[in-house]
Parts: sequence; structure tokens; C-alpha cells
Amino acid sequence: MSKKPIRQQFADTMLDIGRKDPDLVVLIGDISHSILQPFAQVCPGRYYNVGICEATILSMAAGMSKIGFHPVVHTIAPFLIERGFEQIKLDFCYQKISGNIVTVGSVFDYSNLGCTHHCYGDFALLKTLPGIQIVYPGNAEEFDILFRQTYRNEYLTVFRLPGISHGQEFCTYEILLGKGIKIREGSNLTIVATGPHLKTALDAVKDLVSMGWDPEIIYLHTIRPVDTELLLESLCKTKRVCVIEEHMRSGGLGDDVLRLASGFGGLEFISLSIPDEFITTYGSYKDHCIRVGLTSENLVNKVKEIFTI
Amino acid sequence: MNNDLRKKIVDMVMTGRDGHIPSAFSIVDIIEILYDSYLKYDSERPDWDERDYFILSKGHGCLALYVVLERCGFLTSRDIELFCKPNGILGEHPDCTKVPGVEASTGSLGHGLPFAVGIALGLKIKNMQNKVYILVGDGECHEGTIWESANVASNQRLGNLCVLVDWNGSAAQLMPRDNLQAKWRAFGWNVIIAHGHSEKGLKRALTSANGFLNSLPTAIIFKTIKGKGVPMIEGHGVWHHRIPNDEEYKTIMESLT
Repeated sequence: MSKKPIRQQFADTMLDIGRKDPDLVVLIGDISHSILQPFAQVCPGRYYNVGICEATILSMAAGMSKIGFHPVVHTIAPFLIERGFEQIKLDFCYQKISGNIVTVGSVFDYSNLGCTHHCYGDFALLKTLPGIQIVYPGNAEEFDILFRQTYRNEYLTVFRLPGISHGQEFCTYEILLGKGIKIREGSNLTIVATGPHLKTALDAVKDLVSMGWDPEIIYLHTIRPVDTELLLESLCKTKRVCVIEEHMRSGGLGDDVLRLASGFGGLEFISLSIPDEFITTYGSYKDHCIRVGLTSENLVNKVKEIFTI
Repeated sequence: MNNDLRKKIVDMVMTGRDGHIPSAFSIVDIIEILYDSYLKYDSERPDWDERDYFILSKGHGCLALYVVLERCGFLTSRDIELFCKPNGILGEHPDCTKVPGVEASTGSLGHGLPFAVGIALGLKIKNMQNKVYILVGDGECHEGTIWESANVASNQRLGNLCVLVDWNGSAAQLMPRDNLQAKWRAFGWNVIIAHGHSEKGLKRALTSANGFLNSLPTAIIFKTIKGKGVPMIEGHGVWHHRIPNDEEYKTIMESLT
């Protein structure tokens, strides 16, 4: 399996597509400048390190899209999604202009940089925008495949690149926009995982099985459109669901699952997510995951505490 | 100064029961001259590849754009009659997904210029000769994105971009210490100051802008009067977003006759 960092894959994918597609342009806010140099050299005139002006970069990209380019805007997540939200809303979505946003610094990947560089409410914000596509690739190949599937379509697609991979490998044909992947067939518990926490979910399986659970694991790399069919099929069967995600509790994938489950009588639900508060402590990415309970141990404990077979 | 267009603007407001008359009167002469003598367009093919682009960034002045678009054949008289009606396409801010000839949906200030910079940069990459005109308000120039984009445009040497500033004094209501000319110049732009309501002043400025031999973007700062043409509504008072009553309507129309 490729151990390539997802961010490096982003640069490699830009280079490869840029060679073939003269309409691909990349605009960055002074981040990933070094790794994008091969693209800049091979595609002169289609790479712009615009500087520290994220709102402007987004509007510029929408303008370039209007005349036929496929723009890719790239910088740190909060500066694009939170600062530039109105530009995303009005210049892309309201005007029905297509394009691509690729963020790094997912959630608390910049763990020690503090809340200014954290972004754990992005899905909640973006989900309010009609027509948007939200992709959260969990390994390099997923990014490459999903980007190629979407970058020229009529929507704005936001790719949230995590700092680490979930470590799983899939068949290429399994990776489709809007389609979840059933990682493990189960019968009495559904675990819905996104991003790197597919690994967290898988790490919990052994203990869960020893406790008599037979977990079904659904992995979602696409947050919008979400694969309601796969989720409903699993929820109907197991009647219990645990959602694990790197997002604030409000507005995350857990809310989507709850809404889907609203018609089920007696469905039990656990959300492993980030509490609705600022994370003001320091430490590594792993330290933050432990602090907010995004661990396999906590997953097992919550299932034990809340669900009964 | 075109009083017929102004009368039509007032009639639209009376019918639609909404609209910003003084903001539209401030810019209608600029837009009229631009479409009459400078902008390349084809109203039968609003998306014609070789057209020049005009973006009205101060979207609340859209009545001025609508009446010109009707005159140029983009809109019908029926479209005008249905301003702000449930079955119409014209609202109090322009929607490019509905209105032929409108290049950008504006209303939230500060979006038009960076959007126009993207178009101008894209045209430059494609080596196309289309020009990009964008009209911003002087109050809008308080927005940070105006100056972010101004910086990008001059650094990218976007000689195909021309900003038309509606300098009607709105900004000075809030921040009197302002020097628009010095600011645009400091950002590396060609700067022209011109009268925004006389045909001669408008044409001289727009012709000069087309004649620059360098590759820098150009800002034309048009000295305008908010509500120009009707003394009763000129200036920065209550008329910004007011619908005339019957008596006021009569007075306005008399002023425009």
C-alpha cells in the first residue's frame, strides 16, 4: 500500500492532471508552495501563490471558473472555510459556479498552534450550502481518485485533507463519490467512521467481539452527498449506531445519522466527536484525540456503558 | 445626463415598491456611456466569448444596470415591469443565474473586484483581448477585499482590468480622512479622476483608460452625486432606500423633465 502523505498526493495529482488538462489552475495562500513547484514548472501561468488574502483568492477562483477554468484553491482550513465562508457561499454556491477547495490543517492537525489554526466546524458550515460536495479522503489514493471524479463537474467540491491516513487500502472501483464502503459486515452494532478514525474503529473490533458484539463498520469519505442508502440498510439491521468523527458534535456526521434514524423506533446512538467547545490545551494530534475521546478504548467503553446486547 | 433612464428607474421603484433610487442615479450615466460606446457585447448571446465584462459590484445600484440592459436588448419591458414581483427575474440585487447580461450576483460589498480579478487573470492566461470593467462604490472601498484584490491585480499586471469608482461621498460620511486617488495609485494602478455625470467627462476618462500603453490596471474615480438629477433626493439622507409617495413621485418626475 502507498505510504504517500495525502498532501503529497495532492501535489502529485495536480501535476499529473495539469499536464493533460490546460484548464486546471492552482491558487494557494502561501502554503504547500514547495511541493507544488513541479506543477508550477510544468504548468506555467496556471500556478499562483496569491499570498495571504484567502477571501480574495476564493473570489478570484470563482471568476476564473466563470470563464472556463477548473480552479483549485488551497491553504489552511480555517482561513478558507471560516474566513472565506461568504465567498464560498455567494461567489461559488449562490452563483452556481464550480470549483475546488483543498484544505490542510484539518481539525486540530496543527495541534500546538491553538484555536486560530483549528477547524472542527467546517462540515457544519459547508453543509448549509446547497449544491456543495464535501470529501474527506482518508488515504492518498482516495484523494487522487475522488479528485479526478469531481474536479470538472458543475459543483464546488471541498476536500478536507487529514494529516494522517487511516491506513486501509481499497479496490479502486470501490471509491466513488457519495458512496460509503462497508468495511466489515456485522449484525448488532453499526460503527460509522470518517477520516483517520476508520483505524480507531477497526482497532476496537477485537474487544467488541470479545464482549459479544458483531460490529458492522461503514466508512464514509464523502460527507455530501452522504450515502443514506448504505447507512439506512445498516441501521435497519443493527438498530444501534456509534458515529466516530473529527468534527464538533453540532452539525457533524452524527447529526446526519440521527436525522436518518429519526424514523426508527428504539434506535440507540452514540456520538464520538469533539465537544462543542474550543480546544485550548496543547500537545500532539494524538493528545488531542485522547482528550476528546476519539480512541478505540473510549469507543469500546462507550459501547459497553450505553448499549446492551 | 439621461433623465429618461432616471424616470424609468423611479417608475420601477413605484411598481416594485422597493429599490435604491439615489444609488442608481449616481451611476446610471457611467453605465449608459459604457454600454453605448465602450463595452463589446451581443445581447442575443450574453455569454459570447469575445464580450467585454461589466460587473456591478455595488449591487444595490442595480436599477441603473437594469434600465441600460433593457435599452441594450438584454431585458424586455415585461422584465422591467416585474421588478421585485414574485414572477419576475429582477430583484433589488442582481442575480446572474436569472438575468441575462448580469455577470455576477452582487449585493454583499467587496465581492465584485476579486471576482473580476479572477476573470481578468483568466483572460490573460488565455491570451484573450476582452476587457473587464467593474464598478465599485466609494463606501465599498472600505472593504478589505478591495485592497487585497487591488494588490493582486497590479502585481499580476492586469492591464485588461478597469475599476470604475462611484465617488459620491458615501465613504466620507463615515471616514472623512480618505484619499482614494492616492490609495489606488499606491497600489500600483493607473488613476484617472473624472466627472461622472457629463458625457464629455465620462468619454474622456473611458477613452484615456483604453489608451494606456502600460500593462497596469486602471482606476477611474468618477466624481458623482448620489441622487443626481433630483435636488430633493440628492445627498446622503433618508432617500437611500425610500419609496416616494404620490406627491414626491410627482416632484421627482417634474425635476427630471
